[in-house]
Amino acid sequence: MKSKNNKFAIRTTDLKKIYLTGLVKVYALNGINIEVKSGDIISVVGPSGSGKSTLLNMISALDRPTSGKILIDGVDITRLNDKTLSKFRNRRIGFIFQSYNLINRSSVKKNIELPAIVAGMPKKMRGKRVSDLLELVGLKGLENRKPTTLSGGQQQRVAIARALINEPAFILADEPTGNLDSKTGNEITDLLCEINHKKGATIVAVTHDLEFADKTRRIFHLRDGLIEKETEGFSYNEACKRA
Amino acid sequence: MNVSEVIRLGFGALKERRTRTILTILMVMIGVSLITSLDGLGAGFDNYIEEQLNTLGANVLIISSSEGGGGGGFGPPVQGPETKLTSQTVRTIDRVLGIENTVPFYRGAVTIKSGSEEKTISVTGTDQSKLKYITPKISLESGSFVSETDNTGIVLGYNVAYPADLDRPFAKRGQIVSLISFEVEETGGGRQTVKEKKKSFRVQGILEELGNSQVDNTAYISTSAANSLLNKNNIYDGIYGITRDADENEEIEERIRKIYGKNIGIISPKSLIELIQEIVGTFTAFLTTVATVSMFVAAVGIITTLYTSVLERTREIGLLKALGYGNRTILFMFLTESMTIGILGGILGILTGVIGAVLLGRFVLSSFGGSGASALNPVFLPIELIEVFILALSLSIIAGLYPAWRASKLSPINALRKE
Repeated sequence: MKSKNNKFAIRTTDLKKIYLTGLVKVYALNGINIEVKSGDIISVVGPSGSGKSTLLNMISALDRPTSGKILIDGVDITRLNDKTLSKFRNRRIGFIFQSYNLINRSSVKKNIELPAIVAGMPKKMRGKRVSDLLELVGLKGLENRKPTTLSGGQQQRVAIARALINEPAFILADEPTGNLDSKTGNEITDLLCEINHKKGATIVAVTHDLEFADKTRRIFHLRDGLIEKETEGFSYNEACKRA
Repeated sequence: MNVSEVIRLGFGALKERRTRTILTILMVMIGVSLITSLDGLGAGFDNYIEEQLNTLGANVLIISSSEGGGGGGFGPPVQGPETKLTSQTVRTIDRVLGIENTVPFYRGAVTIKSGSEEKTISVTGTDQSKLKYITPKISLESGSFVSETDNTGIVLGYNVAYPADLDRPFAKRGQIVSLISFEVEETGGGRQTVKEKKKSFRVQGILEELGNSQVDNTAYISTSAANSLLNKNNIYDGIYGITRDADENEEIEERIRKIYGKNIGIISPKSLIELIQEIVGTFTAFLTTVATVSMFVAAVGIITTLYTSVLERTREIGLLKALGYGNRTILFMFLTESMTIGILGGILGILTGVIGAVLLGRFVLSSFGGSGASALNPVFLPIELIEVFILALSLSIIAGLYPAWRASKLSPINALRKE
């Protein structure tokens, strides 16, 4: 599902997040202004503590900013209540985490189905989507396996399939290659590019992996809660565009 | 939201923590089982006492030689001043206002022998034509009662004639049986000898089953035959005073007390049974309270189990919330888990409670009811079982509320960060 044809799919205005640790104020985000076009693939890089993950949490409606606006497809999500935000996350966002966050007691199929269950998707449709997605991520035939029996790369593919089941407009990834070796990391990067290309989903990835960042179209460099600079990914054309 | 799938997610979590879940279910089960069986046995015992009451005439006073002494057959003998019950006593009581009739009796334990079989029973010697005043429902299955002039006839109670542990009758009508009584005699120097006395009787009648274990396990002979067999020396074991009206029993008791003071035992079966029912009722209520407390302990168990589960699954809860599971869905998922524990514990508890009470009922009566006593049948009212089940379910829901609420209120960010 492509995001609506607004000028920007994601737009933040003077986004601030201030944590109080004791008497000390920590400015995790200190006035961030970013704009991401619909269907774009971007990465956010920066040293630890620069505010990358905080920014991702704000955009994904997992956390609320201290001040500023976050417009997703033109809607200011900072004004939505918890219930609407839950629904928003469920229908519009696919999450990919560094540590996969799979439920180990459940099968691969059940894990992928999790967002669809709460969305109320009929069983038959879920089954069809799961098998299509498993084919897309290259795990066909593994639907009944438990996550613990899979390699790290395979587990991240399951998580990607889970992120895609409700056909979200946005894929938000927090260090998607952080727990993987470079070869597997590259495979996952290619898969994300492919999804961006085939599904038209807007992808925002927070990463330490500069090789990965280089394959995205734009790179936001964060430092001390501010955008230090914005660059283009050098390998975007030969990597992601080709996918 | 797909409710059945969310419920299945909860089940999955319970299954993953199998041992802990089973132990928690066991806690609920024990509580429910205790309440169920105690309720059932209490009601069963009430019924049993009620049955005994119905077989005895309400307008009967049992007069014995001393307070608490054995005429009624209940309670231990109490040492104290005694009134020897002689024919003079009978005449005195007979003249008390409100007493319509007096039936003195001798009673003792004897061994009865029929062919190669023998057993210990209670034998009562009394005017059998008056038995109908004492136990109005008494009737003969076959034969006739023994007249007061007949010193060799015997009427057997139903359980004496047809013992539960024998696949054929112990003795038939017309058969000769022998009764052996034992008497301990002081022979000086602190030494005692047991003197045996044996006498043959012809079975003249067999009683219908009355449902009163005392009557059903007794053999009846004439007053004089018992006097001689049991060496009573004309001292009765008790006198049944038949009163004009059961409602006057207390006043009549007062009148007899005026004559004998505290040196005589007077029991009205009705008040005795009421007293027993009250004691049993209080005791059952006490035990049920203890059992109910155990249900609350089980509820704390549920809280502990689920709360630990919330702590262990913090990351999972964070993930579900990130994926769009709302607070209510998470709350519902955890409540499903606590309800599952309550439902399984409740059903298993009721089943084991019912089975346990039936088994215990058999054991209780066979241990104090004497030979041939039928089982104490516990009484279970469906409405009471449903109430116990609802109690278990409600407690488990209440116990689940706090952990479920904690889970639903977790911030997804903090929950996901948790290692």
